[in-house]
Amino acid sequence: MNNTFGIIYSNPSYILILIGIFFLLFIPLIIISEFLFFEPFLVFSIYPETTLSFSLIVTLSLFSAFAVSMNIYRVKLIKETKKIGSSIIGTIIGASAGACSCGPIAFSIITTFGTAGSIASSFLTVYEVPIRLTSIGILVIVIFVTTKSLSRECKVKS
Amino acid sequence: MVDAKKIGVAGAAIVLVTLVAVFATSYMADFETARTPNTEDETKPLHLKDAPVLGSKDATITIVEVGDYQCHMCKLWFEETRPLIIENYVETGKANLVFIDMPFLGRDSTPASEATYCADDQGKYWEYHSMLFTYQEDEIDGGWANANRLQAFALNLGLDMEQFDKCMITDDHRAHVNFNMQMAKKEFGANSTPTFVIVGPTGEAQKIVGAHPYSTFVSVLDQML
Repeated sequence: MNNTFGIIYSNPSYILILIGIFFLLFIPLIIISEFLFFEPFLVFSIYPETTLSFSLIVTLSLFSAFAVSMNIYRVKLIKETKKIGSSIIGTIIGASAGACSCGPIAFSIITTFGTAGSIASSFLTVYEVPIRLTSIGILVIVIFVTTKSLSRECKVKS
Repeated sequence: MVDAKKIGVAGAAIVLVTLVAVFATSYMADFETARTPNTEDETKPLHLKDAPVLGSKDATITIVEVGDYQCHMCKLWFEETRPLIIENYVETGKANLVFIDMPFLGRDSTPASEATYCADDQGKYWEYHSMLFTYQEDEIDGGWANANRLQAFALNLGLDMEQFDKCMITDDHRAHVNFNMQMAKKEFGANSTPTFVIVGPTGEAQKIVGAHPYSTFVSVLDQML
């Protein structure tokens, strides 16, 4: 497994992709979850009660970055992929969780879809932690399967 | 075959990026509202005369909080930031605090707001307000603010239950809550909770969107004092 990671991330392009995808998810999520504010000036804050939520965002973003960058490598290597779809679904579900508490997104959803929007928004808020954990679980499986697959394919190639 | 899969992957990536962009745009639109305050709105008299005020009515600064009693970030702000503001700005007479209801999160939000004004009829608005945020639970409309619980909160505060029940049954304050909801959206430009509008001594207003930490309020308030 270490060897597979070593092969992929020995190429600086994949480290850049990893960092890029991480921040692409991390920054919007910490803005939506009200950890980072730009107005009236730049403020970053974590309340003690929200430490778990922040940790899950970091983990989710990191695992998504690994899953996507590894699958990009895999696509380039063997010109086919089967698992990237599920990793993206995991990322989207995880990213959505908890983003709908009292923020403008919830407001838009609720005003657009009424009661159904309110229920959906409420569901995402209440089950924020389990949904994010499930997404992380999906991403771990994706990373594991991709790594195994790459190890096998790399052996075949060599 | 390979091309079709590549297209599929690219499509999924585009969907992901689009979703992130939509989320970000939705949030940034809110910043845009805050960055370019409507000068017409700022000069309008704030219809806060009827609102219960926490602190001295003569304070030079008014902190208006737009909130929903089922909003989790409002509870977080209530527990983490509000006590420090009360200690250092409200109790010292520098600022006062006003709460404007924007009950949009669930069906129990409006009755909860109404109940605060029924409590206000008996002089216990802020006690009831605090009780709602203290006992707020995770699930929106999960029963923590249903009619029975609202009655129980009133009972715990020692309110006259006959008067409270009558007030709730006849929806005495429904119009007040609806008015606040409209004011929150139109006058304060709120589209999420909590939103704060800090009105300074000369009528200048600073909008703060979200459950900001105490440090943000210190900076804004000290600038206005």
